[in-house]
Amino acid sequence: MTFRERTAVALGDAHLQEALNIATTRFIELRREAFASFPGGEELRDRARAIKEATLQRLDHYLERLVDQVERRGGRVHYALTADEARDGIVEICRRAGARMAVKTKSMATEEIELNEALSHAGIAPVETDLGEYIIQLAHEKPSHIIAPAIHKTKGQVAELFSRELKRHVAADPEVLTRIARVELREKFLQADVGITGANFAVADTGTVVLVTNEGNGRMVTSLPRVHIAVMGVEKVVPSMSDLVVLLAILAKSATGQKLSVYTTLVQGPRRPGELEGPEEFHLVLLDNGRIRQLAGPLREALYCLRCGACLNVCPVYRQIGGHAYRSTYPGPIGILLTAMLDGPRAVGELAHASSLCGACAEACPVRIDIPRMLIELRQGGVEHKTAPWAERVVFRAFAGLLARPALYRLAAPLARVLQRPFVREGAIRRLPLFLRDWTKTRDLPAVAGRTFSERWPELERER
Amino acid sequence: MGQTSGLFAAAATARPAEPRRLLETLRRELFERWPQTVERFRCELESVGGRFHRVATIADVPAAVLTIAREGQARRLVTWHPTAFGADLGTDLRGRDLEVESMPAGAPASPEGGARLRERIAGADIGVTGVDLAIAETGTLVLVSGAGRPRSTALLPPTHVAVFDRTALVESLAQTGLVLEAWHQDEPAVGWGAAIHFITGPSRTADIELTLTRGVHGPRDVHAIFVDAPFRD
Repeated sequence: MTFRERTAVALGDAHLQEALNIATTRFIELRREAFASFPGGEELRDRARAIKEATLQRLDHYLERLVDQVERRGGRVHYALTADEARDGIVEICRRAGARMAVKTKSMATEEIELNEALSHAGIAPVETDLGEYIIQLAHEKPSHIIAPAIHKTKGQVAELFSRELKRHVAADPEVLTRIARVELREKFLQADVGITGANFAVADTGTVVLVTNEGNGRMVTSLPRVHIAVMGVEKVVPSMSDLVVLLAILAKSATGQKLSVYTTLVQGPRRPGELEGPEEFHLVLLDNGRIRQLAGPLREALYCLRCGACLNVCPVYRQIGGHAYRSTYPGPIGILLTAMLDGPRAVGELAHASSLCGACAEACPVRIDIPRMLIELRQGGVEHKTAPWAERVVFRAFAGLLARPALYRLAAPLARVLQRPFVREGAIRRLPLFLRDWTKTRDLPAVAGRTFSERWPELERER
Repeated sequence: MGQTSGLFAAAATARPAEPRRLLETLRRELFERWPQTVERFRCELESVGGRFHRVATIADVPAAVLTIAREGQARRLVTWHPTAFGADLGTDLRGRDLEVESMPAGAPASPEGGARLRERIAGADIGVTGVDLAIAETGTLVLVSGAGRPRSTALLPPTHVAVFDRTALVESLAQTGLVLEAWHQDEPAVGWGAAIHFITGPSRTADIELTLTRGVHGPRDVHAIFVDAPFRD
């Protein structure tokens, strides 16, 4: 299915439309309330952005320091240049640990490298423990939102999934469903050999990996299994603890409107002597997968992303079509940029146009990423590198030619007035013909004026 | 193709050179303001669904814990080891018809021993712990793991009771940054664990139709008991 076909499906799904509307509206309200009652919000955003930029400017230094600190505390670091390397490395760690089951917390990085399939193929059962991820795992789907992966499912659908899985009837009540998940997943936490998490941040100064959750699965997964593997994009490193608290404050507010998420877990390597719990082995997988290249690239600012989901919630496109229509690991405005970064501009294709450039995303972004500017550059790149459709390239070449020739440009308006005559009704063009049809499908175009400004100017100038 | 519009002068947060000394100064200042700070903590804790209790001295804590236990018809408690806690609540609590198990001072002798202990923690109704830091701005309890203070005591039982005094209070996340710097200034002390947990209210999710439910994987109820008379050094 093309992107357009996928969006048509999403737009026609009444339940999805309602779910998206309720959820995104709620997230927007929560975020607004959080910032309204926090006068230092703008300053915090500036500081967060400054920290991110400063980190990128010396990324090699901070990564080296992080690796050093993690190793000093008894952890092992694996640098994965590509998704393949990351997958293979993680599967290898699990195999060597003799693992048969791995519990996972919500991690977009592991979605990005498609870890679950690789684990299953290697005979290691991955179990998602974040309630939303658990639901979509049962449904064999991908997450449709960075923060609330099962936003598109009704409680009826969830009850059906649980009933099928547990082979008994389950009521469509969120309390009941949550309690069932608690009991089912607790068993898994206690039995799992390996725990796999992402990492919201990693502090270079101390080698501390930071997990932000609300459910408690982060604590379970990092305390109970024998082996803990944390998978993290290289850009998530943070210089110091002082920087960390700034980012923690802004992340919770932007993502869910909370002052802090319920649990923030700081893990510094495997268990220490005297501890009852904690892993015996701690592995940090640093994922490159196209990120480092962007330090000198046009999408550099996208590396600031905290994965809060705020841009998704305000985007008029995302709010209509939901995450699955993008068909990439990361949906929404930032998702388009991340897809270009990780899979290359060709993979983006039409997604670069899945935006009205309204700028709501840039305004909502806690670290002020200028997403619209980069989307325009992606579109420009599409034309330059001939990945845009030929029709688009021809039209823009013609338009450029027209703008460069004043005499020709002056002819354009009178010509348009003639050509438009068959289509004008009451001052508006309701329906354009042929391949221009889409432009008038949901809106009317105003007719070209009887006299343009530049045609009137000689008279107006004389009147002055 | 264009690049990021200029590498603007960006700076990471200035790191204190001697965080521990700065922290001591901060603590002296905080000492003056502790009544307002604890009041702020109470508000924030309650707004995230936690319950706040206040008692005069450490000797009053067992009665408060008993009230909480009676409310939830709880019988079995697990607590941190007395050294980790700063007080021995076990004896007093046992006297009130509750099954109380204190965590051992160190790691169990064998994996089987550890597994059995873990089962008992998982089967407890209430986990009673101390608090290493209480952040007033957000109503957050910060617990460091370690010997005698296993991570699961505040995680597996459905109710978590945390006991602290004014020495644990800080006002803001910014001050918490300083504390974290100070804690990591030197090599970790003996008995200091590998995990620090920030706990802000009960476990929750809104993943199903955005309906808020509590007690997903972590505790359903969080109680903080503040003791007016300091009992920790």
